[in-house]
Parts: sequence; structure tokens; C-alpha cells
Amino acid sequence: MSVLDIKNVTKSFSTTKAVDDFTLTVGDGELVCLLGPSGSGKSTLLRMIGGFETPTSGVITIDGEDVTRVPPEKRPTGMVFQSHALWTHMNVFKNLAFGLKLRGLPADEIKRRVEAVLELVGLGGYGHRQTTQLSGGQQQRVALARSLVLEPKILLLDEPFASLDQHLRERLREEVRDIQQRLKITTLFVTHGQDEALALADRIVVMRDGRTEQAARPDVVYREPATPFVAGFIGTMNLVDGTVANGRFAHSGFTVPLPVGDGAATLAVRPEALEIVPASGAGMAKIHRVTDYGTHAIVDIELPGGVRLKSMTREARDWSAGQSIDLKPRAFAAYRDNAAIHRSN
Amino acid sequence: MTTTPAIDIVGTKKSGRPIGLLLVAAPVLLVCWMVIWPIISAIARTVWLPNEGSGRSFSLETYAFFFSDQYSINNLTVTLWTTGVTALLLLLICLPIALYLRFAKGRLAAYVQGLAIFPMFVPSIILSYAVIRVLGPNGTVDLLLNSVGLPHIRSPYLTPWGPVIGLVWDNIPLTVLILLSGLGNVSNQSIEAARDVGAGRFALLWHIILPRISNSILVAVSFTVLGIFSAFTLPYVLGPAAPEMMGPFMQRTFRDLNDPTNAITQAVIAFAFCIVFGLFYVRSVAKNRAP
Repeated sequence: MSVLDIKNVTKSFSTTKAVDDFTLTVGDGELVCLLGPSGSGKSTLLRMIGGFETPTSGVITIDGEDVTRVPPEKRPTGMVFQSHALWTHMNVFKNLAFGLKLRGLPADEIKRRVEAVLELVGLGGYGHRQTTQLSGGQQQRVALARSLVLEPKILLLDEPFASLDQHLRERLREEVRDIQQRLKITTLFVTHGQDEALALADRIVVMRDGRTEQAARPDVVYREPATPFVAGFIGTMNLVDGTVANGRFAHSGFTVPLPVGDGAATLAVRPEALEIVPASGAGMAKIHRVTDYGTHAIVDIELPGGVRLKSMTREARDWSAGQSIDLKPRAFAAYRDNAAIHRSN
Repeated sequence: MTTTPAIDIVGTKKSGRPIGLLLVAAPVLLVCWMVIWPIISAIARTVWLPNEGSGRSFSLETYAFFFSDQYSINNLTVTLWTTGVTALLLLLICLPIALYLRFAKGRLAAYVQGLAIFPMFVPSIILSYAVIRVLGPNGTVDLLLNSVGLPHIRSPYLTPWGPVIGLVWDNIPLTVLILLSGLGNVSNQSIEAARDVGAGRFALLWHIILPRISNSILVAVSFTVLGIFSAFTLPYVLGPAAPEMMGPFMQRTFRDLNDPTNAITQAVIAFAFCIVFGLFYVRSVAKNRAP
């Protein structure tokens, strides 16, 4: 059953469209990541779901009820902001109790719920602390608890870990996933970090210029990107523009069999799927640099036209800069007119 | 490459210490000469009075006179009343303006801000005459009411409300600017977070915005009180002859009655009230600066 329905929503700021005819349905208990570069409209979309922006056109329904023009204080949503936005003049307990007090709950019920949710986010016994005494990670947990304590139907997270360091971000990410699965709460998570989206989401919606580029399971988005943009945005991807003639794709000496009609095409190959072998003749490309990461090595390759590619190999010592090589893509996709025309797996 | 040590301008080294002290010495000496010394001198002159012999002795006679004289007490009361009413009206008028300027966007907000700051550039004497011309007997308001057949207003000119209107008008810019700077510390996201948990406009103002700008309100009130106690032109031109505010009272005692000792006593009493608010301000600044 769908909890959230976004139908043909557009949001314009003067002449620019931040969100453009966007449609999405989110199921009960689903965790959807809105992923895209800065300016792709993902935060604006989240703010419209939260009620902080009003769509220029389109309809947003929560549990079948039209909330398009309902203010945030009357929506069954809870938002966690990037800068956690805690009220520094209140201690942790009061930050969490504020929303419950506004709902007129009795004091003992408020105490019980606040303490329970503080335990849930791993901050049991922190109620009396001032928010300014907490670390960045703890502050973000309080912000999460403040939303969860009201038991919203939809939890909205707007790049909540952007200001935290990598290690803490990974830990909190796992905790959020655990809590979300335990509470079975429908969640929308905005991020521009693809690893965050891949690790967290039941479904990723890749956005660009206010539109959906692809909405699918993380593994599908990674393995079968729908457009060259998604291919380039998720993970590392080698993208080579070339032409197809007589069933072969070619770009300055680099050729691959490609059984599609003649014309321009973009070839997309993941570094781990781009095998390199010592050149049998003149070679398709030359090695520019070899970087050893211990567990694997990344070989930077330069095609005669100047295009750079990356290949992931096990052994760094097999390769050296300046060496002539041939390229053998094991799996690749080809795009034409912003759509996939071929996949080889 | 060789490195040379940076010049030690704050004088952490023993040899550089006199330079740092010399830098602050000039302003400190100036404050002592122009502020501290006149305060000490004024207090001394009111408690160290000429006695019946040829010398001077300690006496609280002038203070006893001030607090036993009904006219002096009336003047102090009207000054405190004007201060309280003006401060209250200023907050009631300026808080909505500051809130509007903080949260509104666009050109209209810029015009409103310009209009709110405008009184800062109008000298008190011009403002006084403007108030007389508009609200005084046969002023603009009277003429307009008369033209549509309505009766005269009871003009606030030469009543205690005259200085209140003038002082409110005069203090709007500073109060708006102080409140606006306080509201600058209230982030949009903390307001959105409050709306998200269900806070309506009133709850937002009462539980989130006001506690965050309480310091600024205190500073604004302190500045207003200090300004009103030392106000002269507006109470002198717009206020009643009796009771009068402390500013005109001091001037009249000093010049018309040629009684400097009692004039200084009035000044010390006014100063005692101001210093309470001055300490509020200093405490607020110190609290904000504390790490």
C-alpha cells in the first residue's frame, strides 16, 4: 500500500523549475533515497513533502489525503535537517518534549516517550544535557529522536550526515537503517552521496534538473543505469563517446563489437569490468599512471584522442606507466539519445 | 629558507609588555578622566557639603531633600513612568517590525527597513516641531478632523504623552536594529524544525523566538532606558511644565534656580537608576562573550 503519492509536482522559483513534473509513489515502510547533484531539486522536493514549500502545480497525498497546501505543523511528517536545528535554549529532554507538549500529552506520558526514544537512538540518560554539550553525532541523534518521538507517518531526512566526518557518517547511517527497519517507518532520505544511497535505500531515485532520471533498486541503478547521467553519477564509470559502424563501436583506435544500428553512441564501462592486456600490436591505449591501493590497483589509461579511462586490477606490479595495452571490456552498456540501446553482461 | 619570528605585538614577551600596556593606556586614561572622575567628583560634591563652619563635612542632606520634596518625587515618577511606557511601546511596535524584516523577502521589506531606520537621521529638535505641527493644537490631525466635521483631539502636546510619542519615534531605529541583530541568530532551520513538530505562530514566537532573542530585548530595553533618562530636547519641548522629566528638571535647577548642588544630586539619582540597566547590559555582553 502506498503511503506517499507525488503526482506531477512542479516547483518554479521565478523562471527556473527546481522540480519539474515529478511523480513518485512510496510504499509503507519503504526507505527511498533521493540522490542527485546540487541543484537537482531533491531538497526542494523533500521540503514540499514536509510542507515547507508549496508546489506550483501537482498534488501530494499522504495516506490518500491531499496535503499539497497543508502547513508543516499539520502534516504527519517529521523532518531531520542538515544542520540538526536543535533549540539551544532547551536541554535534550525539552527539545524532544516540545512537540509532545504542543499536542497536550500528560507529563508522565511525555517522559515515558522521550526516554524510550532516547534509548532507541543510544542516548539514554542524556535528557538533562544541554544540546551545546553534545558532539556533532550526538546532536544529529537528538534531531532524529525529536522527529521519531512524534511517531510520524513519514520520516524526512535532508542530508542529515553532511556535516559529519566519514567514520561517524557510516556508523550513523547503519543506525538509521536499523531504527528504520525496527520501526518500519516510511522514510525519504536526501543525499548527494551515492555510497550513502547504495548502502541505505530500498529504492534510489536519481534526480537531475528536477526530474527523475531513474528510480529503481540500488543494485539495478548500479548495474543497469538507465541513462549516461546515472551511469556517470553512480559509482565510477568510464564514458566514451564514439560512433558505431557495421556492428563495431570505435573511438580513436579503441573498438568493441556493438550489435546496434550505425550512428553516434556512448559506451559505459565500470573500471572493474574493463580488462587490460599487454598490446598485441600497436595497442589501443597507453598506461598513464598506476596507483596501488593495497587490495587493488587503479590503472589510468589514455586513449590516443586524449580521453582518460580507469581500470581496476588486482596487481599493480604487472603494469607500468607508458606501457601499450589493449582494452577488453567484459561488461558494458551503450547509450544513444539519453537511453540505453545495448547491455552486455 | 630561514624564518624570522613574528613581531610580538601583544607583548607576551617580557620585553614587549610595555608596548601593549601603552596601547590601552590612552583610552583607559581618557575614560578615567572623562567618565570615572566626573562620576566620583559628582558623588563627592553631593555628600561632602559645606558645613556651618568654614569647612566641609559628610552629609546626605541633598538626597534627604530630594526624597522629601514632593515636586522632585513627582519629576522622578514621571520620568520612570515615561521610561516604562516608552520601553513597552517600543517593544510592542518594534518587535513586529523586526519580525517582519527578518522573515519577509523582497523589495517591500527593504522599503519598510528604510522607513524604520529613517528617524535615526532626523534631529530631535526637528522631530519635536514635527510632532507639534501634526499632533499639536490646530495641527495637521486637527485640521483633517475639522475638515470632515469631527471634533478636536485632546492633543498630547504638553502632556506626559508628548515626550512618550517623540521618544518612541526617536528610538524605533535603534530598537529595530538591536532586535533584528538578535533575530539574525535564530536560524531558519530551527524555526522550520519547530513548525515541523507542530508549533503554530504563537508557540513559535513564545517558545522558540523570544527565548533566543531575550538577550537582545534586554539590550534594547537597557539602551532605551539609558537614552530616555538622559533625554532633554524632546521632554523639554513636548512635555508638560510640571511635573517635568529629569533632564529638563536638572537643567532648570542648575540654570534657573542657580543651584548646582541639587542639580548634581538629581544627576546622581538619575545615574543610579541608569547604572542598574547599564549593569544588565554589561552582564548580557559578558554572557555572550563567555566561551
